[in-house]
This record gives sequence, C-alpha cells and structure tokens, in this order.
Amino acid sequence: MTTLGQLILSGTFVGGIYALMSMGLTLIFGVLRIVNFAHGEFLMLAMYGAWAITRVFGLNPYIAAMAIVPAMFLFGAIVHQIIVRPALDKPHLVVVFATMGLSIFMQNAALMIMTADLWDVPPIFSHSVKIGPFYFKAELLLGFAVTILCTLFLQWLIRSTYLGKAIRATVQDGEAAMLMGIPVPRIFLVTFATGSALVGLAACLMMPLFSVFPTVGLNFVLIAFVIVVLGGMGSIEGALIGGMCIGVVQSISSYYVAPAYGQMFYFILFLLVMIFRPNGLLGQKGAATIGIND
Amino acid sequence: MRESLSARSFLVLPQRGGRVSIFEIAIFAGCFVFATVGLSQNFQDIAVLSFLWAGLALAWNIAGGFAGLISFGHAAFFGIGAYTSTILFLHFGLSPWVGIWCGGLLTAGFGALLAIICARLRGPFFILSTLAAAEVVRIAALNWASLTGGPEGLSIPPAAGMANMVFMSKTAYVIMMSVFLVAVYAVTKSLEGSRYGYYLYSVRDDVDAASAAGVNPSLVRTSAMALSAGLTGIGGSLFAQYFLYLDPTFIISPDLSFQFALLAAVGGLGTAIGPVLGSFLITPMSELLRSYLGYQVAGLHLVIYSALLIVVVLYFPGGIAGALTRIAGGRAKL
Repeated sequence: MTTLGQLILSGTFVGGIYALMSMGLTLIFGVLRIVNFAHGEFLMLAMYGAWAITRVFGLNPYIAAMAIVPAMFLFGAIVHQIIVRPALDKPHLVVVFATMGLSIFMQNAALMIMTADLWDVPPIFSHSVKIGPFYFKAELLLGFAVTILCTLFLQWLIRSTYLGKAIRATVQDGEAAMLMGIPVPRIFLVTFATGSALVGLAACLMMPLFSVFPTVGLNFVLIAFVIVVLGGMGSIEGALIGGMCIGVVQSISSYYVAPAYGQMFYFILFLLVMIFRPNGLLGQKGAATIGIND
Repeated sequence: MRESLSARSFLVLPQRGGRVSIFEIAIFAGCFVFATVGLSQNFQDIAVLSFLWAGLALAWNIAGGFAGLISFGHAAFFGIGAYTSTILFLHFGLSPWVGIWCGGLLTAGFGALLAIICARLRGPFFILSTLAAAEVVRIAALNWASLTGGPEGLSIPPAAGMANMVFMSKTAYVIMMSVFLVAVYAVTKSLEGSRYGYYLYSVRDDVDAASAAGVNPSLVRTSAMALSAGLTGIGGSLFAQYFLYLDPTFIISPDLSFQFALLAAVGGLGTAIGPVLGSFLITPMSELLRSYLGYQVAGLHLVIYSALLIVVVLYFPGGIAGALTRIAGGRAKL
C-alpha cells in the first residue's frame, strides 16, 4: 500500500513538471493553433543552456533560470519572426514542414556541437524530503510548487489582463480583433515568445531530474502534445490535470511492467490517447481532429 | 474564415493526367546511362542511393503528397520490409526474389493497420501518431534480439549470385534500383490522371466534401497508406540486398522517415517528377558532402537538409517541380 501511495504521489509530482513543460505548448498550439513541432527542441536548447551555466559558473539550474527564461523569450520571438510568421498566411502544411525542419535542424546542430553524450547536473539537495511515510526528491517538490504558481499566473494572465483578453479575441476572430485596434501580429509574437519562455523555465526545473542529449525533445514533445489534447486544447488547468494523470500512469506502469519496454511508454501512451480519447479528458470536441483539412 | 481551395493546398492538380513527357524520359534515360556507363565504382554508390531514395520518396509521396497523409513513420515500413526478406532468407533459405514480395505485402498490411488506427486523426496528430508508431517498432526491433539480432543487427552473407540477389558489380545494383524507381514512378504516374488519383486529392483537400460526393474517405486513406507502405517495404528489402547489413538504429530511425518526407517536399509534393528531382539533386549533394567532410561530423547533412527544407517550404511552396513549372509556364509546355 505504501509502495502504491509512493508511486501515485511521485507520479503526480513528475506529472506536474510535464504539465509545466506543456503549458508553453498550450499557449502556442492550444491557444494560437500554431503547430510547433520544435517544442521539444526548444526544451532541449534550454536544458543545454541551463546545464552550461551550471557547469561554467558553478551555479545551480534554478539561478540559471534568470538568464534562460529571458533568453528563451528572445529565441521564441526570433523563431516566430523568421520561421513562423512567414508561414502563417500559407496553408497549414507549411507551418508543419517549417517547424519540423527547425526541429531536425536543432537536433542535428546539437549533435554536431554537443555530441550524443548524456549530460547531468549534480544533485542540488543532499536529502530527500519525508512527508508521512513517503519520500520525495526536494527538486521534484520544488518543481511541482513552481508549476502550481505558473498555472495560477497563466490563469490570471489569460482571464484578467488586457493582454489575455487580446489573445482570446485574436484567436476567436483575428479580423474583428484587428478592427478593434488589437495589434494582432504583435499578440501572436508575444504569446509565442511567452510560450517558449515557459519551456525555458520548465527546462531549468527539469535539469536536476533528467539528463540532456540531442534527441531528448522527441520523448517530451509527444508527452506535451498528449497533455495539451488530454487537457482540452488551450486550457491551462486542463494541462495540469492531464500532466498529473500521465505522471501517475507512467510511474505505476514503469514499476509493474517490464522495464525493457519502459522506453516505449511515451509512444504507446500517445497512440492509446489518440485512439481512445482524441477529444481530451473533458471531451472537448475535435481536439485531435483539427488540422490541415480545417 | 474559410479559405479557398487553392490557398489551403499548395499542391497543384496535374495539368495533363498520366501522360509521360519527353522531358521525363530524357531525365530517366540520361541519369541511367550516365550511372551505368559514365561513373566509377565509388560514384556508382551515389547513383544507387539516389535511385533508391527517389523511389522511396515517390512511395512516401503517394500517401503524403497525393492523399495528404503526412507520415513521419515510413522508416518503420522500410525497416520491416528489410527485416522480412532478410529473416526469411537467413532462417528459411527463402530467396530474396520471393522475400521482397513477402516484405511488401506485410508492410502494406502494417500501413493499412496504421491508417485504420489513425482514421479519425487529422494534421499534427496524424503526423505525431506515425512518428510514435515507428518508435514503437524501432524499440521492439532493438529488444526482440532472437528475431532481429537486437542492437547488433543482421548480416547477409556476401555470397554473390543471382539466387541470393547479391551481386559483385555495382552496375547490377544501379539496374536493380532503377527498375524499382521506374516501377514506383509508373504507379505514381498512373495515379495522376486516374479516378482513384482524384479520390486521393479529394480526401487530401476536403474530407467532408469528398464524402458528400460519394468517396469513402477511410477506404481511400487505408488503401493509399497500404500502397505507399508496401512500396516502401519493397524498397527496404532492396536496401538490405545492397548493404547486406541491417542496423536497427539506422533503418528504423526518425531521421530516415524525415528524409523520405523531405526529399518529396523539396522536390514538389503531389507531383510524380518532384520527388525524383528532389532525390537526384539532394542525395548526391549530401553523399559528396559526407565523403569530403568525413563521417565524424555527425548530423551535418541533416542540418543542411533541414535548413534547405525550411527555405523551400517558406519561399518555394511547390518545391523544385513547382518552380520549374512556373518558369516554363509562360512559354511552350514541356
């Protein structure tokens, strides 16, 4: 019983971190409906950044976040201007191929520069935290706490600020929003950049828990898309719930099912969700069926 | 905001259905003669790969370009085809001449299965599902050591002979791959003007309108995927007969799937000549680059491939074939 409880709770916390990583995609794909296949590579880039700062300056990844988050905001803005914006007025397929191209480009550039080796940062806290009969890594709890804060912040941003209102208006009807004086291109730019800044934050929190290597994004991008779909496209709290569900399923299945097939987990889970719940947990219609033909 | 058909699809409908032009015959004949007579052994290697990848890009194009089923999992079909003929040969002594057809049929079945599983999915979710399915196949191949040899892969004994489908001279492989290429090209060409070809276009461009007009979208999607996967599987078997060694980390890698898609997209999606031009231009370029810069610069050729892909899709949406058509457009038809 304790084992099961431990598995469920650690799964929930890991899932929270997955949710944080997916929130950037929730903004970019769920809200703006821009298919960013390079989302996983954004994460990879930010993880290498956090690792490099930790290694070179002897700091820890949490302090590195102060540099990584603005840097990823800038990087997102540049990618948006150079690759995404020219593709937006073209058929959907163009964005798909352009971001897929960017993803392959970043993966292989990382392979050339960093080789295929796995890199870690040393553990930050020497002790686990004991809550009742359960033990948790302090890094995990910290990451989960930041996720909750980010969820609340994003909710507030989308629901209560002018920027949030402008984003929602732009998504509902771009032309009408433009007629109301909303600078639509700038809204897209800011939202895309915010999405990639969130990935930067997630990367800093994940660095103490996961190794970084050139194709690290491939596992996580599928998880991120699953979470965005499960949560119901564009819903921030949905992403949190979706992420926690995935975390629990993963921790239980990796304990009870043969570990050799553990690495298949992300892919099989993705296919199962696509087959059985393409409309998300809350049943939002058409989540996974939108796309090129719409 | 409902966009017009031409705005939503950058793939153009063919002007002249199914007829083979002098221009196409000239390209094929010229490249074939050049590869068999004009090249030394080292460069014939590049020709073999150009022909093979061209055939595979065409096979991908049947699903991706014609039916709009963008797949980033075709390497799984390629790998299953390669493993099938090799395992049948190594364990049961079945000649690869029979084995490649078994591989083709098996992969066609897998293609149909994948299309049925993903029947409801559109756009990005279809693409990611194909990627995920291929990863499942790759990890299975790596772990199922008793069948696939696991991470060490499988080797075909290099005993040359017609019955083994193993040849000493590279010219034989050039002929083999060009037969494959011409066969896939003929299939694609016959789709271009045919009723079934228009079913594919209709499903790609507007599923709802297609089913309203009496096309059965799931049947069309499933059959297109099966055809594309089957041809890819045959290509995989031919690759195995050429390299005589199967490395699961290469033959079922996402990189290989991207390569098929990329050659087709750079050449021109939904056209017959596009993927051929894409492969004939890009494959020699990347092979020469690799041999001059050495294999130690891992990933360099894909960096260049992908940068090229981004530029082409953003600024030349019809690919090479589209650009050529535009240049030729004002003047007499090719």
